[in-house]
Amino acid sequence: MRRLALGMLTLALLLLGGTAWAQEVKLGSLNDLTGPTSDVGKDIALGIREAVQYVNDTGGINGKKIRLFLYDYGYRVPEAITTYKRFRDFDRVVGVLGWGTGDTEALSPTVGKDRLPYLSHSFAAKLTDPKTAPYNFVYGTDYSSNARAAMTVWVEEVWMKDPRFREARAKGEKPRIVMFYAFPVPYSSAPIKALKNHAELLGFEVGADQDVSLVALDTKSQVLAAKGFKPHLAWHGNTTMSVAATIKDAHALGLGADHIVNNWGYDENLVRLAGPAAEGVMGIAVNAFYGDKVPLMEKVLEYGKKVNPGVPPEARMIRTVQSWVQVLMMAEAMKRADRAGKLNGPGLKEAFETFRDWTPGLGRPPITLSPTDHRPGSVIPIYRIKAGKFELVKQVDLKAKWPKQWDGEWFGY
Amino acid sequence: MYLPSGVYHETYGASHAWWQTGFVRGKMVLLVAFVATLPLYANLYVVSVANIILYTILSALGVQLLIGYCGQITLGHAAFIAVGAYATAMGVLFWGLPYPVAALVGCLLAGVWSVVFGLPSARIKGFYQIMTTMAAQFITVDFIITHYVSRVGGREHYFSLPPGTITIAGWPVDSEVKVYYLASALTILSMAALANLLRTRVGRAWIAIRDNDIAAEAMGVNVVAYKLLAFFAAGVLAGIAGAVWIPSLLFVSPEHFQLSWGLWLVGVILIGGIGSLYGVAFGSIFVTGILELLKFAVIPLSDVYPALTERFLYVKEAAFGLAIVLFLLYEPRGLAYRWQQTKNYFNLWPFAY
Repeated sequence: MRRLALGMLTLALLLLGGTAWAQEVKLGSLNDLTGPTSDVGKDIALGIREAVQYVNDTGGINGKKIRLFLYDYGYRVPEAITTYKRFRDFDRVVGVLGWGTGDTEALSPTVGKDRLPYLSHSFAAKLTDPKTAPYNFVYGTDYSSNARAAMTVWVEEVWMKDPRFREARAKGEKPRIVMFYAFPVPYSSAPIKALKNHAELLGFEVGADQDVSLVALDTKSQVLAAKGFKPHLAWHGNTTMSVAATIKDAHALGLGADHIVNNWGYDENLVRLAGPAAEGVMGIAVNAFYGDKVPLMEKVLEYGKKVNPGVPPEARMIRTVQSWVQVLMMAEAMKRADRAGKLNGPGLKEAFETFRDWTPGLGRPPITLSPTDHRPGSVIPIYRIKAGKFELVKQVDLKAKWPKQWDGEWFGY
Repeated sequence: MYLPSGVYHETYGASHAWWQTGFVRGKMVLLVAFVATLPLYANLYVVSVANIILYTILSALGVQLLIGYCGQITLGHAAFIAVGAYATAMGVLFWGLPYPVAALVGCLLAGVWSVVFGLPSARIKGFYQIMTTMAAQFITVDFIITHYVSRVGGREHYFSLPPGTITIAGWPVDSEVKVYYLASALTILSMAALANLLRTRVGRAWIAIRDNDIAAEAMGVNVVAYKLLAFFAAGVLAGIAGAVWIPSLLFVSPEHFQLSWGLWLVGVILIGGIGSLYGVAFGSIFVTGILELLKFAVIPLSDVYPALTERFLYVKEAAFGLAIVLFLLYEPRGLAYRWQQTKNYFNLWPFAY
């Protein structure tokens, strides 16, 4: 009986829910809540739902409501494909929020053919070249630029200034770097070529790469293999769980290197998992951390409580803020496309390409896109963990430092 | 073999025919007609789901051959699909081979590569074989393809093919419908080839090895040679699956051929039925279809219960595992056996015997 009542209530709500708004804009979202990247994917999904709710509460897309189709694909590429096609043909969305590198890049030729803008959480540099991926957009700086920025900041702020290295500098030693990442995973191996190139540029010696799986719990053998090289710096290219394991093992075995971490391995969980070993670890964040004092953050906190009251704020992470940046960027493009009277795939793409120094707040450096360059910008904030908190070390502007390379050989890899 | 009253064979050929009555022939004509006309009335989404089903069938055929017909347990089948896919992509991109030629090269390469990892099967069985086939997965995908193959031509870890590069004798395979026809033609061909192969001396030898390898050896079956032949045939089938993966995505990356896909395929044949060819088709339709149907259940309801998409999702993951467990408990012979039972029921209907 109770089940029947619940069913009736559902039907009634469905019928009522569809009548409240005159028009709606459909938005698809592919997420991983159950697969190998769900450690960050869950928080992302919560954030997307909250951000869409916020957009709808503040007038929607010029008075049209966003209808969100959020779906989990468990990081399985075939399922990502069928889900994307469902969004395209069945739900008829105008844009898609994407997730992983493997599936985003796999779908890239298809979305180009379908002319359906795809704003992904994967920031692989390949996705930022409109010649090869015309309908792909990213809201954060690509992995290769991130890696270059982190290395640059470490050299400028640590190697050149820290008394620990005074002796080595006086002897004219080159700094030594070693890289820990999962070889077969596109996300992890995407920036490696750029890292090696940048190491050459800054005068590093590069040690042998160490393969650490995304689900590694024990990385002692890799750390010991790297230890013989006596590195000053270690790059971590995985997601939080395995980065934490590596940093802990490095700490326990006395690797003696500083750490820099790519953005999907650098969040509040790293501090929780690695504990004291995380002290001083530097990394990339594409926007502010959860609860930082930046514009619009109070809304993020408010909607977190409102939409998902069951999740305590201390369990929330920077990933929520990233979702907000992603959704607000999509909403902004939709608003512009709608004002131009072209709220469809190609219109949305053109709207994205009109972004000039646009920022939603939330500590995201301004985003500029053009028809010939889909890199969101050249300014990258680098953070450091101090007493369990994240503090901004420096914002690097790669374009200002290396204008020739930024527009030339660095484009799209 | 069930034959209705009044149907009897007068030649050996007729008694060995695949379809022995007009009713069955009619069913098969209908099935082929259905497959051939599906894109005419289905929308693109349905066609793309059908493509994934066909790709799953092609992938699982080799697993069915090894596990279901030859008794060689394999978990590394995704590796050979990867070999086929990469060889096809590279053949088309770097060496300018026409797609059919590149696909053929990919199939042969995958077959030979599969034999390499089949070699230990001369000495070992069961659990140890699981280890060697898993080793195939790691050595092939995580090591060779990721490190060496993917770096060919100064690319990164994956290839994307410009649209329009895949042509068959001047016919560009550039839309989902065309991929569907390509995949369904290859699926029907592979199915027919394997079905006929299993009725020959070779197939009988495989089944003998599966049922009791010592007895098979005593009867004069060259166990090692036939095992390696099974690995070769499975590798070729995997190569065909890999060759189909390329035009449907125009893209190939090591992430598409992980160990999980190999495990998934074993799940497919467990659900479909071990040792049955149409079990492969049933299993593929079942696992792909269930995931799609769950979308139809979850997405509309999530407007009302947003928690569905976040907290209720483990149900989808659990569905697959639960399906396998329930099948092993209640349908140990899979969907194929249930299909058989259904047909039998109607053969005798309305009488019970």
